[in-house]
Amino acid sequence: MHAPADRVTVAERPRADDGTAFEVFVRDDVDRPLRHVGSVTAEDAADAYERATRLFAWYADDIWLCPAGDFTRFTTHDLDDDAEQAPTDVSGFDGGDDYEEPRNREWS
Amino acid sequence: MISVSKLLCGLDAEGDGLRYDAADESEKPQIREDKQRRPVVVWNTTKQCNLYCEHCYAGADDGCAPGELSTSEGERLLEDLADFGVPVVLFSGGEPLVREDLEHLVEYASDLGIRPVLSTNGTLVTDDRAAALRDAGLKYAGVSVDGLRETNDAFRGQDGAFDAALRGIECFQDAGVKTGLRYTITERTAPDLEAVVDLLYSEGVDRFCFYHLDYGGRGVPDADLPPDEKREAVRRVCDMTREYHAAGEEIETLLVGNYADAGFLVEYAREEMGEAHASAVREYLRRNGGDPAG
Repeated sequence: MHAPADRVTVAERPRADDGTAFEVFVRDDVDRPLRHVGSVTAEDAADAYERATRLFAWYADDIWLCPAGDFTRFTTHDLDDDAEQAPTDVSGFDGGDDYEEPRNREWS
Repeated sequence: MISVSKLLCGLDAEGDGLRYDAADESEKPQIREDKQRRPVVVWNTTKQCNLYCEHCYAGADDGCAPGELSTSEGERLLEDLADFGVPVVLFSGGEPLVREDLEHLVEYASDLGIRPVLSTNGTLVTDDRAAALRDAGLKYAGVSVDGLRETNDAFRGQDGAFDAALRGIECFQDAGVKTGLRYTITERTAPDLEAVVDLLYSEGVDRFCFYHLDYGGRGVPDADLPPDEKREAVRRVCDMTREYHAAGEEIETLLVGNYADAGFLVEYAREEMGEAHASAVREYLRRNGGDPAG
């Protein structure tokens, strides 16, 4: 039982000022979920794939790449001056402390 | 970062505890008494720089990068780093002295128990700013000089940069801030290596950090030394360190940015100093995890 997290938005700023930052996800094998392993800066997806396979994922079954700017991020971290409060929908619950995560999966 | 002077010549230094779990062997006040695995953090506070160096891994120029941290964001970053137990923050860039809040951020880090150190091209340092940084708690200033006057100024893209850097070093020394050299070894700068050390040692500098070229920004592989010449340059750093120490001049020398230096140092010690010394070098490196950052 956890209270809903108090999150803020993360402003959309380029992660790289020369090229594009790509977030890298890999699936080690068919029984495992994708996991985020890091990011690379590259000219395009083909270049990002080359860098990702060299740095992180030469062993992995699957590699997913996504331009970092295409993510919309929310965080409990309060570093960003321009962050805005992100609404947390707890409608139907009296008090956040009693709020139970509707779906909870843990990967071992 | 590998301390050549420690491994080859047994020089006492205040980083021995942090680096080699060798605080007990040192008579110098230690940055850390115990070996720890928290990272030394390099914060590139801005991409702005008043110079335009050929090799700059940050690709710095006269513009800011998007999303550079404001003063208050910087304070929160430093709080995060302090909570994590980071022992040292290196304020870098771009040129960190371009930021007018540098003194404040240095003081903020110092008050949080972080050791603030600086990487600068030295050309914007004045007596007043050096004193203000000292009063803010700055513990060390590493000033970049990449060759003698002609080489350095061509490399850094500005006539007068060499003389300005030397004036900057003098400002820090006059203010009582420990000051060292940062020297990037490239095809263009390698020939001047010993001459720059000789010159700066005569100016009172006794700490010399040699950086391998970082392949980022404008630091492209074409500017790097081929492997055989790179090994020769590292050998010259080792030889020079031992020659200085043999003459009773206890310079501190460090190598940064190439993991292969660890193996090279062991083999150098074996060839030049014997099996027992090579084993001791290997043991120190093992304690420090080879050639980690910081």
